[in-house]
Amino acid sequence: MLSKRSLVGVRWNFHTLAVLFFMLIGIQAFAADPAVDSSDEAVAAGKALFNTNCKTCHKLDAKLVGPALRGATDRQPAENVKKFIKNSAVVIGSGDSYYNDLYKEYNNTAMPAHEFLSDDDLNNLLAYIEFGDKVDPAAAAAAGTGAEGGAAVAGGGIPNEYLTVILVVLVVVLLLILAVLGLIISVLTKYLNKQELDEDDQEFVSQKFNLGKVIKSDGFIIIVTALVVALVAKTAIDGLYSVGVQQGYAPTQPIAYSHKLHAGTLEIECQYCHTGVEIGRSANIPSPNICMNCHTHVQNVQGKEGVSPEIQKIYDAVDNNTPIEWVRVHNLPDLAYFNHSQHVKVGGIECQTCHGPIQEMEVVGQHSALTMGWCIDCHRQTEIATEGNAYYDKLVQIHADSKDALKVKDIGGLECAKCHY
Amino acid sequence: MKIAKALSLLGIAAAGISLVACKADGDNQGLEYAPQMYHSVAYEPLTQIKDETKGEWLSNREDGKGEFFNSNINNPHGMNMREPVAGTVPRTKDGSLPYRYKAFEIEEASVNVKNPIELNDEVLKEGERLFQLYCTPCHGKGGQGDGTVGMIIGGVANLTGGAYVGLSEGHIYHVITKGKGRMGAHGSQITPENRWKIVHYVKQKLQGGQNADNAVAVAEKATQETQVETPAN
Repeated sequence: MLSKRSLVGVRWNFHTLAVLFFMLIGIQAFAADPAVDSSDEAVAAGKALFNTNCKTCHKLDAKLVGPALRGATDRQPAENVKKFIKNSAVVIGSGDSYYNDLYKEYNNTAMPAHEFLSDDDLNNLLAYIEFGDKVDPAAAAAAGTGAEGGAAVAGGGIPNEYLTVILVVLVVVLLLILAVLGLIISVLTKYLNKQELDEDDQEFVSQKFNLGKVIKSDGFIIIVTALVVALVAKTAIDGLYSVGVQQGYAPTQPIAYSHKLHAGTLEIECQYCHTGVEIGRSANIPSPNICMNCHTHVQNVQGKEGVSPEIQKIYDAVDNNTPIEWVRVHNLPDLAYFNHSQHVKVGGIECQTCHGPIQEMEVVGQHSALTMGWCIDCHRQTEIATEGNAYYDKLVQIHADSKDALKVKDIGGLECAKCHY
Repeated sequence: MKIAKALSLLGIAAAGISLVACKADGDNQGLEYAPQMYHSVAYEPLTQIKDETKGEWLSNREDGKGEFFNSNINNPHGMNMREPVAGTVPRTKDGSLPYRYKAFEIEEASVNVKNPIELNDEVLKEGERLFQLYCTPCHGKGGQGDGTVGMIIGGVANLTGGAYVGLSEGHIYHVITKGKGRMGAHGSQITPENRWKIVHYVKQKLQGGQNADNAVAVAEKATQETQVETPAN
C-alpha cells in the first residue's frame, strides 16, 4: 500500500502545480510534499534543530554519512519521513521496502532514534530540509573566487622579498665601493708616475702583486697551518663527542606516517595514540586497532579517491595479523633507566620538552642529545610543582631554609642509583 | 722529513673526517660506544633486533648468534610481546573485572552498568582533561561533533544533541569501550577508571546531568549505610 502511494505520490493541487512550475523554469530540481510548511519561521526553527541533531551525518544537497536530505518528502510522503526520523529501526523492522533499500544502500548504518522531537519540531525540520539554505550556483561561484583572492593576498611573502632586495642592494653597494677604490688607485698611480720620484719610491709605486712570494712568506704558512690544525681538531673532537649520541637519527619507517599531519594539522593529542605514557615506563607505539579508529573511514589523504598505498599497509597488517615493524628512534642505553609516567604524569612535562617540535616533523628524528649531561642539566634547573600535592609537604618543610626553590636535584635527581641500577 | 710531516698531517685529517661519520643522521644511527652495555640482555617490549648476525663480531653467546639479536624465537613473528593466555583475567588496582558485554549488547549495558566512581570536582577536572585527550579530535572541544578529525570522518555524534543527552551513563561507557556506528572501540586506549571519569564529564558538563547515575548512586549509598549501621546498633 505504501509503495503504491509513493508511486502515485504527488497529489495534484495548487502547491504541486506551483512546484512543477518552478521545476519547469529550472530552479527547482525536486518537489516537496505539499504538507511541508515553507514559512520563514518554520525554516529558521528547523535549521536550529538540524544543526544540533542532523548536521554531523547529513547535508541538504550532498551525500555525507547519510543521504542528501532535500527532496526527502518528494521521494516519500512527509508522514513516512517523520516516522523514520523518530525511530528508523521501527520503520526498517516493519519491512518498508523503500527504507530497507536505503538502509542497505548505506551499508546498514543505523540512524539513532529521535523520539524526543515533537510533531511541530518534525514539521519545522522538514521545512528546513526542503526550503532552507538554497544554494544559488552563481553566488557560490562568486563566493569561491572571493575566498581565493583573499587567500592569495594573505599568503604573500613580504618579509622574504624584503630580505632579498636588501641583500642585492648590499652586494651592489659593495661592488661600487670596490670599483671606486680601483679607480682611485689607478688615478693615484698615474699621478705619481708623472712626478719625479727617487728610486725607492718609484719601485714602491710601480710594484706588481706577487702571489708566489706571499705564499712562501712565513706569516702565511703559519696562519694556514694554524687554521688547518684548528679545523681538524674541531672535527675530531666533535666526532668523538658524537660517539654514542644518536641526536638527529631519523630512520625511514615502514609506513610514511606524518606526525606533522596527525599531531600538527589535525591536532590529535600525543596520548591518543601513545597511551602508555601516563601509566608506564614506555609511551608505547600504537597497535593498528588504534589507527583503525579513524582509518576505517579515512582511506586516503586530502580527500583523494581510492586507498592510499601507505594506509593500505595498515589494512594488510590488520587483515593478516602481522606486526608493523616500526624502527625505534630513541634508543636509551640499557644502562640507564627512564620512566615516562614519572616525567609526564607526576612531573607534568610536555612531550615537546624532550622530543622537540614533533607536530612539525614529517619524519620523526631524535631531537635531544639524551646524554647524561642533558638529563642532569634539566634536573638541576627544573622546579617541582609541590602545590596541592601532599606527598611533597615534608620535603618542602625540610627545604624551607634554602634560598632556592625546591628542584629535582634536591629530592634525589642527581643520585646515581636513581637511574643506574 | 717533509714527506713524513705531510703524511702525519694527512692522517690526522683523515681520522677527523672519518670521526664525522660517527654522527647520527637520517638512517645512520651513528657509532655506539660500549655496545654491550647499550643493548638489553633481557627481552625488551619495544626493541627487537631480528638479524641473527648483528653484533657477531663481539659475541660470546653460547647459541652462536650475534650479541644484539634479542627476538624471542618462541613467539609469533619473533616478537617480545605476547598476548595473554586465553581466559586469564588481569588483576586491577580496584579489583574490577573485565567488561563482559559484547559490542551488540548495548541495551543490556545501558540498563545494568553503573558508574562506580564517585562524582566530585577533581573527577570532573580529570574527566575534562581526558576528554580533551581522547575525544576532542572527533567530538570537538564542546562535544558538538565538530572536531578537526570528525569533520573528515563525518557522522560524529553531537553529544549535546537531543538524541544523546538522555542516554544512560552505562550506554556512554559501553560506546567508549566497544564503539558504535562509525566510532571505533577505545577500550584498549583508556583504562576503565578513566573511561568512567570521561563519562562523568560528558554527563555533567556537556549534557547537563540528565539521566545521570550519581543521583541514584547517592541514594543507594545512603540506604546501604543505614543497613550497615542497623546490626551494629
